[in-house]
Amino acid sequence: MNGRQPIWLVARRELSEGLRSRAWRASLVVQILVVAVIAVVSIASGGDDGPSERKLAIHGAAATQIEAKASGAEADYGIRLEVRREPSAAAALLAVRDEEVDAALTGAGLATGPDADPALVALLQNSAAAVASEARLRRAGLSPQQAREALEPRPLRTTVVQPPEGEGGEGLAYLGALLLYIAIISFGYAVASSVISEKSSRVVEIVLSAIRPEQLLSGKVLGNGLLGLIQIGLIALVGLGIALPSGEISLPDSTAETVVLVFVYFVLGYVFYGCAFAAAASLVSRQEDSQSTTMPILVLLIGGYLLANAALNQPDGGLATIATFLPPLAPMVVPGRAAQGELAGWELLLSLAVMVLAILLIVRLAGRIYERSVLRFGAPLTLRDAARLARR
Amino acid sequence: MSEKALELEDLHKRYEETVALDGVSFAVGDGELFGFVGPNGAGKTTLMRIVLGVLAADSGEVRWRGAAIGAEQRRRIGYMPEERGLYPKMRVGEQLVFMARLHGVEEAAARREADSWMERLGIAERAEEPVEALSLGNQQRVQLAVALVHKPDLLVLDEPFSGLDPDGVDALGEALTEEVRRRRIPVVFSSHQLDLVERFCDSVGIIAGGRLVASGRREEIKGSLAEVYREATRR
Repeated sequence: MNGRQPIWLVARRELSEGLRSRAWRASLVVQILVVAVIAVVSIASGGDDGPSERKLAIHGAAATQIEAKASGAEADYGIRLEVRREPSAAAALLAVRDEEVDAALTGAGLATGPDADPALVALLQNSAAAVASEARLRRAGLSPQQAREALEPRPLRTTVVQPPEGEGGEGLAYLGALLLYIAIISFGYAVASSVISEKSSRVVEIVLSAIRPEQLLSGKVLGNGLLGLIQIGLIALVGLGIALPSGEISLPDSTAETVVLVFVYFVLGYVFYGCAFAAAASLVSRQEDSQSTTMPILVLLIGGYLLANAALNQPDGGLATIATFLPPLAPMVVPGRAAQGELAGWELLLSLAVMVLAILLIVRLAGRIYERSVLRFGAPLTLRDAARLARR
Repeated sequence: MSEKALELEDLHKRYEETVALDGVSFAVGDGELFGFVGPNGAGKTTLMRIVLGVLAADSGEVRWRGAAIGAEQRRRIGYMPEERGLYPKMRVGEQLVFMARLHGVEEAAARREADSWMERLGIAERAEEPVEALSLGNQQRVQLAVALVHKPDLLVLDEPFSGLDPDGVDALGEALTEEVRRRRIPVVFSSHQLDLVERFCDSVGIIAGGRLVASGRREEIKGSLAEVYREATRR
């Protein structure tokens, strides 16, 4: 049997037992429900919000004229006017004071509350201006038709200019870093818990009488990674399946490269951190003790995420460039830089090379720690013990 | 002197302050059941882990058919550790196939062997159940099946019958001795129960304080084993 077959056997076991476990299925169902609810709610509430309703009190002939003009233009301002006629100007002002209406239009002018909707004010001001201008133009000798035409010029032709390629990827970059961070944490802890449960059930001693520790370690990292990818894939499928047909969101063509990069760096980042989590977990015998030994990795990961965010603020800056070549940071920074068009080809190649090298090193190191600590039961070992074990 | 299948020579092992093994040597031939007895902490488990290679000796050598034992040969060992260990949520049948596969048995042969052992140990109707749903006695049977399912060349069994009721001891003991005689496998077997060692083993070693204080074929040991044991462990 070659060296890779045991890895695959272990991975397959992790995968099939994981898929069968109630906890995994339950968490998948919950996550899919959450995503589905979010997708449905955002579709239902998305799109053009209906016009906002504004109440207007009027009194007097001038006010009636302006209101008539405003009612013709209300849709352009995203407003629907609800008008009530008051017996006197004082009554109209009182309605504003009592917050029964948003504004009052009287012979004295416009009255509003302190937080008047600017769109409503603009609508009424422009309507008043139009009424006044129309009256002046008619006095100057124009027919009503001519006056109206003079006041309703053709609207400006407007076009939307797309930002240049790359710049639009900013949001995607932050989102990618966040998703990667969350996925690495949850997958990493899945590996850790699987390592510990094998140790607490003591089955690890039998397994290690048959295969080498690094084969077991690699198989567990691989199996839990595949399990996590299936989970994410199913959730993404449901989310996109609901959202895409609605036209509520669309995937720009340029995202394909970013998605591929996010995926590649996710795999690299997960293997890197997954091995670290497995080695840390092998130091303890009970799930309760895992906090202490996985904490340094979590701190590294959180620090990495924060630094990655800082780096993405300035994707062509020094921090971003350095982070590209630091294995704990690169997975969260590189796809983001690429999405913003700030990653040179050589930087990508060098970053990938450094990443692969770091993974080879950490697999060996984690394998050594794992090998020497996984058969020790009882009190958790400290990181110093682990370092000593790895050197021996 | 004919060469024995498994030879242990002058094994030493220390843990920090305590001496676990202090120069242990013995040999086991084909089809021979070698049982060693000793009080808790005598070094039985350390000895077995060294044979298995999950633990390294400080000095001394384990030889298989005349040569230092290697990784490939060690994978041909059937092992039952004192601390029982199975995947609690994994189904019995799948677990046996998985273990056989880890030892390099092909899929079809692994299934055949797993079925055969579940049949012989009376747990065939439990094949689809997770191990944790079985009684402790039946889990012990699965544990023995795990040690035997890959057709090992050597068996290393740490306290194989502890925690079993007399019926369980009879059933597992018979299945084990029958397989050992049939395939002529050497067996290293530890126990703290003298009667079990007397009943099943061809040779006996008494281990105390990290040393083998007495050993020989069962019939060569004069007097009752209990007396020899008391005498040997008193020092």
